[in-house]
Amino acid sequence: MPEYKVIGRPALRVDAAEKATGKAVYTQDVKLPGLLYAKVLRSPYPHARILRVDTSVAERMPGVKAVLTIRDVPQHRTGLMLQDHYIFAKDKVRHVGDEIAAVAAVDEETAQKAVEAIEVDYEELPSVFDVEEAMREGAPVIHEDLPSYDMGPGHQYPHTMKGGTNICGLYKLRKGDVDKGFQGADYVFEDTFKVHTFYHGYIEPHACTASYDPTSGKVTVWTSTQRPFMARAYLSKTFNLPMTKVRVVGTRVGGGFGGKTRPRHERFPVALSMKTGRPVNMVMTRDEDIAAYCSPAAVVKLKMGVKADGAIVALAMDMIWDTGGYGESIHYSRGPIEALPGPYDIPNVKIDSYAVYTNKMPAYSYRGRIMPQPTFAVESALDIISERLGLDPVEVRMKNLFQEGSINAAGQALHSVGARDCLQKVAQAIGWGRAPGPNRGISVVSYHKYPPTQASSAVVRLNEDGTVQLICGAPEIGQGTQTALSMICAEELGVPLEDVSMPIYDTDHTPFEAGAIGDRITTCAGNAIRIAAADARAQALAIAANMLKVNKEDLTVEDGRILVRDAPEMWTTLPRVCAAAHTRLGGPIVGRGSYLGNDSMLEMDAETGQMGGVSRSWKYGAQAAEVEVDPQTGEVKVLKVVCAQDVGKAINPLIIEGQMDGAVLMGLGLSLWEETAFDEGKVANPNFMDYRLPTAMEGVSLEHIIVEHASPDGPFGAKGAGEQSTVPTAAVMANAIYNAVGVRIKDLPLTAEKVLSALGQQRAQSAGRI
Amino acid sequence: MKQLISLKVNGTTHEVAVEPYWTLLNVIRDHLGLTGTKRGCDSGDCGACTVIMNGKPVNSCLVLAVDARDRDILTIEGLAQDGKLHPLQEAFIEKGGIQCGYCTPGMIMMAKALLDENPRPTEAQVRQAIAGNLCRCTGYVKIVEAILAASEAMTPAKP
Repeated sequence: MPEYKVIGRPALRVDAAEKATGKAVYTQDVKLPGLLYAKVLRSPYPHARILRVDTSVAERMPGVKAVLTIRDVPQHRTGLMLQDHYIFAKDKVRHVGDEIAAVAAVDEETAQKAVEAIEVDYEELPSVFDVEEAMREGAPVIHEDLPSYDMGPGHQYPHTMKGGTNICGLYKLRKGDVDKGFQGADYVFEDTFKVHTFYHGYIEPHACTASYDPTSGKVTVWTSTQRPFMARAYLSKTFNLPMTKVRVVGTRVGGGFGGKTRPRHERFPVALSMKTGRPVNMVMTRDEDIAAYCSPAAVVKLKMGVKADGAIVALAMDMIWDTGGYGESIHYSRGPIEALPGPYDIPNVKIDSYAVYTNKMPAYSYRGRIMPQPTFAVESALDIISERLGLDPVEVRMKNLFQEGSINAAGQALHSVGARDCLQKVAQAIGWGRAPGPNRGISVVSYHKYPPTQASSAVVRLNEDGTVQLICGAPEIGQGTQTALSMICAEELGVPLEDVSMPIYDTDHTPFEAGAIGDRITTCAGNAIRIAAADARAQALAIAANMLKVNKEDLTVEDGRILVRDAPEMWTTLPRVCAAAHTRLGGPIVGRGSYLGNDSMLEMDAETGQMGGVSRSWKYGAQAAEVEVDPQTGEVKVLKVVCAQDVGKAINPLIIEGQMDGAVLMGLGLSLWEETAFDEGKVANPNFMDYRLPTAMEGVSLEHIIVEHASPDGPFGAKGAGEQSTVPTAAVMANAIYNAVGVRIKDLPLTAEKVLSALGQQRAQSAGRI
Repeated sequence: MKQLISLKVNGTTHEVAVEPYWTLLNVIRDHLGLTGTKRGCDSGDCGACTVIMNGKPVNSCLVLAVDARDRDILTIEGLAQDGKLHPLQEAFIEKGGIQCGYCTPGMIMMAKALLDENPRPTEAQVRQAIAGNLCRCTGYVKIVEAILAASEAMTPAKP
């Protein structure tokens, strides 16, 4: 095991002090002279033709500086994933909240009054809200022009859309012969699981300020985003501007969790600023935000065949994702399709994964990268099957889990597999095998996921005094990017952490980075930074070798000192080398690193989903919990959660523990309490009184278990760690509730009402039997 | 119709002309430029805008600026003294109680109000006190640890 100086230690976050003192600048804190405020007119109908829009009254109101509709902006379709929407709704609206017009005024109140003065005549159209109904023949078609849509700049894969239907994405995965597999099974389980819609719940609502300079034709944008370079790509495409004319300037981001991955509301302040020539700010109200951003609802139709000893021999799955009115989450149908079967070695697999339009708000990414939904189904099924076969569910998992060299459903050979290690550790920590007592239940669940492999680049500049500027476009959204990446840079360079400074991104100055999604920053940006730091280090050593008149191969860097191996009397320092580089030897040291990874999704076979492998940083985990169910109320009390994550290598264990804490409470929230409720496509609970985020009263104490099976691909073996622990929690809860009181709930959330009603049915059934 | 009011914020008195419907949050952020206090919901549900007014924690989005006239208001910017961080700020940093940071100023002000009234709270009392301050990042674990650690640092237990 190599000895590390910087990584692996619980270093304090580099951004903590400015956040603790209120000095951190978020998008809403950017104040520009002459700032105007924007508000948007949204459709009250889920599906309707727009017959007439009259903005004349709004335009004449004092304080109103611009009113825009589709007439006033470029009239081509746009979208980061699927180009299926216009800047403003054209001809028809497809969900409640679909944007029809925007106003810029001297203050928010005036803008809102003007929005309310815009008259629109609609002709209502038949709507469809249920994703399975939307797939049926004869369902209202939401996008008539579907097969002609182009993919957006954020979508990298070949894509199937079905014209004349609402199916805007379909991907397949085939391994072995699933029919034969079921024939050879001793027991076949088949059922449907449903996952509801939930909200990301970041405390900072979406906000954006745009400032267009008519002289240079350039727009500068401050926005609360997880993906600044995708925001630039989208705005460039949407407004026909070259990327040199769109600048996205970094601020702190008050949480994202997948809800800030797709540029959307940015187009309104940009359009209004281009019209007025003045900076325009738009902050989503909390009710707008809850009614505009959500996870995709999902239906999982699952069929699993097992041998009498618990060996899984076949898995068939229809995975149906509800994208809402626009295809912001079509990538879910592709998603990590090869991860859907769970971390199990299954010889025969058949998966069809659909993205389907409905007349609900567009769904977005969500922490866990589509894995909480299928994991709920697969892990519930494993417990049900184990019980029916009289097997121990932990042993059944252990029997089927991937190990070193296993081949997954997409044909990839797996390495550094920490799955069994995680499962063993949580089972032991929760005391698996003990009887937990009346109305108490325990459960243990396994899972896996991988970070999406997308491009990163970084520049490492050594200053004249030997300190380091780390220039990378990876955004800090609270997950600890800035600290972890600075640690990777410091470790590779051989300098202390405090010598590295990583400024917030600015797309004009930082090199490309695909953004904070799916735990990818640590592996992708981390690798780019490690390469850049190694480049800078090599340049520094070449100059030092020249200064010391030795071979650079004989040099090593330690704590900022450059030492000659086997000649302790000969040494210099990084500051001296850097000073020399700037004045007399070689020129300033600038290291460069780019990383794309080994993503072979582009070569994926469309009929079978087989490919060489998506990521070598597959990560594994296990989670266990003990709950107590109140049989009088159905209320579930979470007594203990144990969380094991195979993170490859923990760059900063303090930050990883914090990620586990937050991920689990988020997982508990979406499993037990949270739900975005719809009434005919309209969100019925758009505020934090009715949409119940977990508070400190619901907080639970966790046992954190960090497992390290180093990735051959990650920087220092790291696999990333932010999202993982949200993945299994719904399954852990469903299984623990069953273990406690014997009721099995197959549609989330696991509310007290559902538990109580299931308990009532159970009592009625057992009374009937007597 | 604007009214001229005086607001005492972090020890400094400001004369501000305010509309009767402006909130204290609005005035602190947009007119006094103290943007450390965060705007999260405008309806008193998230706690991000918590400040201390005459010793009591309030959601500044629910207080009209005219009603804060002549009151003593403390915001996150007024907590550190002569560049030295308050023990709560230090504990939040050291215990890992900060992630995205958006709830942090409100959370710290709520915790200060608690410790001012109850210097040695139990964990349950801490959780109760911050139940109106939402955080999505931390699961509250390290926030609660930080508040308890600050309490200990400020008021060591008697031997």
